[in-house]
Amino acid sequence: MGVKEQMRKGTTSVILLNLLSELGRPMYGYEIIQELEARSQGSFRFKEGLIYPRLHELEQDGLLRSEWQGEEGTRRRKFYAITDKGRRTLAEELRDWHSFAQAVNRLLSLEATP
Amino acid sequence: MSEIDDLVARIQSQMDLDGETEHEILAEIRDHLEEVVAEARAQSLDEAQALARAAARFGVGEEVGRGLQAAHAGWGTADAVIAAGLPVVCALILRWLAFAPDGTAVGWPQLLSRPAFWIVALAALLIPLLKFERWRYGLAAWAIFWGLTVLFVVWPALRW
Repeated sequence: MGVKEQMRKGTTSVILLNLLSELGRPMYGYEIIQELEARSQGSFRFKEGLIYPRLHELEQDGLLRSEWQGEEGTRRRKFYAITDKGRRTLAEELRDWHSFAQAVNRLLSLEATP
Repeated sequence: MSEIDDLVARIQSQMDLDGETEHEILAEIRDHLEEVVAEARAQSLDEAQALARAAARFGVGEEVGRGLQAAHAGWGTADAVIAAGLPVVCALILRWLAFAPDGTAVGWPQLLSRPAFWIVALAALLIPLLKFERWRYGLAAWAIFWGLTVLFVVWPALRW
């Protein structure tokens, strides 16, 4: 897997965990996509299908849990919610992210200085 | 909705998981696509346009299928040990309960009256069920446990 692909996977996972943590309620795949697009004001667009492997990976890792809701014969949806382990992981990832971003910003500022 | 069927088939072509897991995954994907189509139809697009929009927004089916396969295929070492070892360990514990160290054996009625018997039997069912969240795995482990138990207890030649 290339660096770009790894970054995309890692970033998407943190964004998903953060969204579910912030909203504090279970959400289904399409609802998550719509919310992400609305929050990023359209700048965060990706192929919708690619969100499902990330959601399933997070669930397999115990960071999300899922539950089907809806009666038989009506539209049934699989809702995802963040777990305690997911919240702990998110906190660690956000710390790492801020450290990394600060370091890059410092480097870029140095480079921009004449 | 041939476009949806086609997309779902492309995803499925990349997966080699147990039937129940595949069924759940594909139901979730189909639900997503149908919702996008319904939303597009509500915006006055015709059926063909709505289907085309859903397919275009979803992405390449094969890529999604490979991602889902990778997400579900890997069993960790600990999972494999639990799946394979738990029924055997439980059956051995039960065998130990059935045969006292002095070589005397208790009958089935006595065995069934012991709380330890039911604790072990329930553990053999519930641990894989809760661990793997699939009733099929729980029942399979339970069946292996009972098979071994009957073998150990009923077949005197296997006595230590």
